[in-house]
Amino acid sequence: MDVTLEKRLRDDEALMDKNFVVTNLDSLLNWARGHSFWPVTLGLACCAIEMMATGGPRYDISRFGWEVFRASPRQADVMIVAGTCTRKMAPLLRRIYDQMPEPKWVIAMGSCANAGGPFVDSYSMMAGVDKVVPVDVYIPGCPPRPESLLYGLLQLQYKVSNPAKVRLMKHGK
Amino acid sequence: MENNEKFKLQVTELATRVNGEVEESFGVLVLKVNAPYIIETLTAAKQFADGPCDFLHDLCGMDLVDHFEVVYQLTSLRGSQSLRVKAIVNRENPVVDSVTRIWQGANYLEREAFDMFGIIFKGHPNLKRIYMWDDFEGYPLRKDYVTEPIELRNITRTRIEGE
Repeated sequence: MDVTLEKRLRDDEALMDKNFVVTNLDSLLNWARGHSFWPVTLGLACCAIEMMATGGPRYDISRFGWEVFRASPRQADVMIVAGTCTRKMAPLLRRIYDQMPEPKWVIAMGSCANAGGPFVDSYSMMAGVDKVVPVDVYIPGCPPRPESLLYGLLQLQYKVSNPAKVRLMKHGK
Repeated sequence: MENNEKFKLQVTELATRVNGEVEESFGVLVLKVNAPYIIETLTAAKQFADGPCDFLHDLCGMDLVDHFEVVYQLTSLRGSQSLRVKAIVNRENPVVDSVTRIWQGANYLEREAFDMFGIIFKGHPNLKRIYMWDDFEGYPLRKDYVTEPIELRNITRTRIEGE
């Protein structure tokens, strides 16, 4: 092993004995962001019921530190689009997204938000919210079970905590 | 049972007065009249001596290809009587009198029928679209409505302020 690397590892170990952790500020902030999402309550249809169930005591979203559902987009950083987005609603959805402070992420929950779902051929349907806002995580299901939402949020947490790894997986560079 | 007979007698008597037809469907009396008689029919139905039908349960439009129908479901809070009145509306010129003067609650229901079928309710205080946006073209629940292609529907519209 490289002598300098070995020396650094030994130094780190000595620091850990003194309850010290060394990291860079970016990873620390990303770690903090990923472990305390503040979702904005954007329940548009039946998926919202599953989202509420996720927030309830049985599935208990607060285990992960994401329980602070905000009614105002200005205090939130994750938008969970739970339900059917109609064409009448689409400009308002965009406005809510624009009102959220950076950094912000979007989760499309359920088939309707993903790609239109059973209403894809309907006259009033915006088939997929990714035409209006950039989506980070798609959760399939009609509606997805609370476990799926938790899994989706965990995926988002992974994405937020390890941006370089996710970029590598997606783009290969 | 005796009450039922009395009620039926009243309805048939009203039908002869307004030139309508009575039929029975799954235990509910259906009274079909032409659109110009609808106010007279519903006013009379509201004031039946035996079992007034004074509660507008629901109002909706129907497209039967050669004509439209407006269906009024009447019930009462004072008895079990129920009556279904259908107004036959011309397809080329779909105009029918508004019943908001008889039941205030018909306001939103008539707006829905206007939004989905393009039936114009004369005398309605605020007849504009209720579900679809104001600049939407066509009436989506008509049988001859063709849904726009997906490329058109994918375009995000800009919202009209105050819509």
